Amino acid sequence: MSSGPLPLAGVRVLDFTHVLAGPFATRILGDMGADVVKVNSAARPGNTPLSAYYVMWNRNKRALALDMARDEAKALCRRLCERADIVIDNFSAGVLDRWGIGYESVRAANPGVIYVAMSGMGERGPWSSFVTYAPTVHALAGITALVGVPGREDIGIGFSYNDHLSGLHGAVAVLAALEARRSTGSGQRIELSQLEVGAQFVAPALLDYFANGRVAEASGNDLPYDVAAPHGCYPCAGDDRWVAIAVMDDAQWASLRTVMGDPEWARDERYATAAGRVADRRALDGSVSAWTRDLDAYEVQTRCQAAGVPAGVVQTGLDFASDPQFSATDFLTPIAEPQPAVGQSYADRLPLRFSRSPVTEYRRSRMLGEDNAAVLGDWLDMGADEVAGGEAEGYLR
Amino acid sequence: MPGPSPNGALAGVRVIDLLDERGIYGGKLLADLGADVIRVEARGGDPLRRRGPFAASGDSLWHAYYASNRRFVTIDATTDGGRASLVALCGGADVVLDAGALATAGVDEGALLRDHPALVLVSLTSFGREGPWADYLAPDLVAAALGGVAATTGDVDTPPLRGFGEMTFAVPGAYVAIAALAALRHARETGEGQRVDLSVHEALASCLEHVLMWLWYHDRLPMALGPVLPRRGSLHWSDAYEVMNARDGAIMVTITPDPQALLAWLVEEGAQQDLLDERYLDPTGARPITGRFMEVLKDWVATKHVEPFFFESQARHHPFGWVLPPDRLADNPHLEARGWWVEHTLPAGDVVRGPGVPYHLSETPIAAPGAAAPAAQADGDAAADAVLREIGWDA
Repeated sequence: MSSGPLPLAGVRVLDFTHVLAGPFATRILGDMGADVVKVNSAARPGNTPLSAYYVMWNRNKRALALDMARDEAKALCRRLCERADIVIDNFSAGVLDRWGIGYESVRAANPGVIYVAMSGMGERGPWSSFVTYAPTVHALAGITALVGVPGREDIGIGFSYNDHLSGLHGAVAVLAALEARRSTGSGQRIELSQLEVGAQFVAPALLDYFANGRVAEASGNDLPYDVAAPHGCYPCAGDDRWVAIAVMDDAQWASLRTVMGDPEWARDERYATAAGRVADRRALDGSVSAWTRDLDAYEVQTRCQAAGVPAGVVQTGLDFASDPQFSATDFLTPIAEPQPAVGQSYADRLPLRFSRSPVTEYRRSRMLGEDNAAVLGDWLDMGADEVAGGEAEGYLR
Repeated sequence: MPGPSPNGALAGVRVIDLLDERGIYGGKLLADLGADVIRVEARGGDPLRRRGPFAASGDSLWHAYYASNRRFVTIDATTDGGRASLVALCGGADVVLDAGALATAGVDEGALLRDHPALVLVSLTSFGREGPWADYLAPDLVAAALGGVAATTGDVDTPPLRGFGEMTFAVPGAYVAIAALAALRHARETGEGQRVDLSVHEALASCLEHVLMWLWYHDRLPMALGPVLPRRGSLHWSDAYEVMNARDGAIMVTITPDPQALLAWLVEEGAQQDLLDERYLDPTGARPITGRFMEVLKDWVATKHVEPFFFESQARHHPFGWVLPPDRLADNPHLEARGWWVEHTLPAGDVVRGPGVPYHLSETPIAAPGAAAPAAQADGDAAADAVLREIGWDA
């Protein structure tokens, strides 16, 4: 198939976000061809372009640095907002208004503009002023209580899951508003609540509570609403190596028995049905562990999958480096141009493979103000001298 | 028969949803935004209607939530007539969301795209279409294991753990919606449809926060001892966030973003222990080193009642998070005041509360989900044009 322009070619994004959730949303938009201009403001340094964390989430963007304490910078920002398709931030409510670039004031000049505010708790409601990071949201959204083992509520998910999901939902909302603008001709303001993103993921527990009054608890690797066993992570040979095995029906159990060499214990009649296996699942887990313990985790995976039993190694980031599926698509790929702060940098490709508008370009994250002249030239027709003047004046950095 | 919201952002966008549990959340995102999403079920019913939890009536609460705002058509794609109906439905759509159902039905996807040049086909697999694992079976736990989620979740004294419910598959689900809408935009601009492939495996690996950072940049991270950070409960990679146990509940506590203010609070309560000793201060002398700070916090938090402590921490602008179990979340005054909950009408008629959507669009508000209608609005053995007429797509 032919290769055309990227799906979001021509879409201009003014990006005031920082840390992870917002930058992940705009990274996705940038990967797909939007012109994402990341605004670093002196008034709000956020995390620095020198950090590896920043480098992770800010590829495929251009960098503009302004001192938003200065009126000249605010005026420049105002002109940029008037030319933007998307203005996205995760400040507390009111910051953009104080800078004179709030939605209501900008939409008069740019009725098609789409504003996205990605706050922790949303802008209305008694907890709206609460401050949050992803681990805060995990706790408040029920995720921490439900991810873990019975009797403990201090485990939770081990990474900032909800920041990524907030970013993905931010991208969905932007794309939906662009589609709506096609028919209505007007933009709109989108308020995204990271708490509401997170609370959706415990939906089965919430519906069960509302319908039946049942309060779900953390259940380790047991499935709280399905009858399936063995279903868990089992230790293998080596240091902290594990394989996940998920027997979802009786046929898979029969296959697993064969893979294990049909040991005596597995012929126990109680294990013939899923209900029987679930009733005795802790003993069953012990027996399966005794089988896996001295085996290589990938060998268990290969043997199980060959027999139609769902199984997979508990892979770490280091395992990803030799993951054959990732190799087949060059999923983890070096970025050609050295990044000034970290040297060699890398990209995990956008997981979306467009047949006609493929994403092939991964540009390194940019340093503070590195694209001042290019951005202001493209968006506002400002000349190089004018930009240099602003940099000398100090409102551009 | 429930229909799409006429005012939603995606009003008028026609979508065929052939997804299974790995991607159904993507169909939900589009449907809740107002697209006209037809979910096709095999004769005998969608297996996802048999997923728990269930209401007393036996209706699946899982299905009511994940299949919200859809219309349903039963098609027996094993018959020639059924296959023709499926092809006709897909041909009448802007977007087809598939997770293998087209291939199983013997539909020629290349011909479908050639015959309908503006059509967007989003194709979800577990591991991609090629490579040695392409045919592997990967229900939630296995996907979470190979995709790096499980290795990053759990404590030193537990096995690696999965997320709750559909947390794992929410990730590829959200990417499905992004794929559909981005390719739809391209089709609107150029008249060209296309196929978008994505795998659960890559989607999960793209959303692991520090995991790839550790792999690629561990030499530059002062806290990294190697390319992998072992799982360690709730303790964040930065060492600065952890869930701690108070007297009557748990709370996520962090020294970020203002450790000085937090230290002042400890001093105010006489709970600072030895944190002001020079040996525990960072080289600038400005604040205690993180590890010792977190230890002292743990002792202090253990003396607290969780609810007032949480509210006081937030009043002082510390981003602490009370670990809420689902019943407390269900009764949360903030979500109530925001009018977040929606009512799902189950096939048997009961009305059950459930989560709303996480974004609020000023000009194209989201409609509450309609009833989770029973299947079989159209018979798959009927002529293809009858199916289209039944759902109103014949015009």
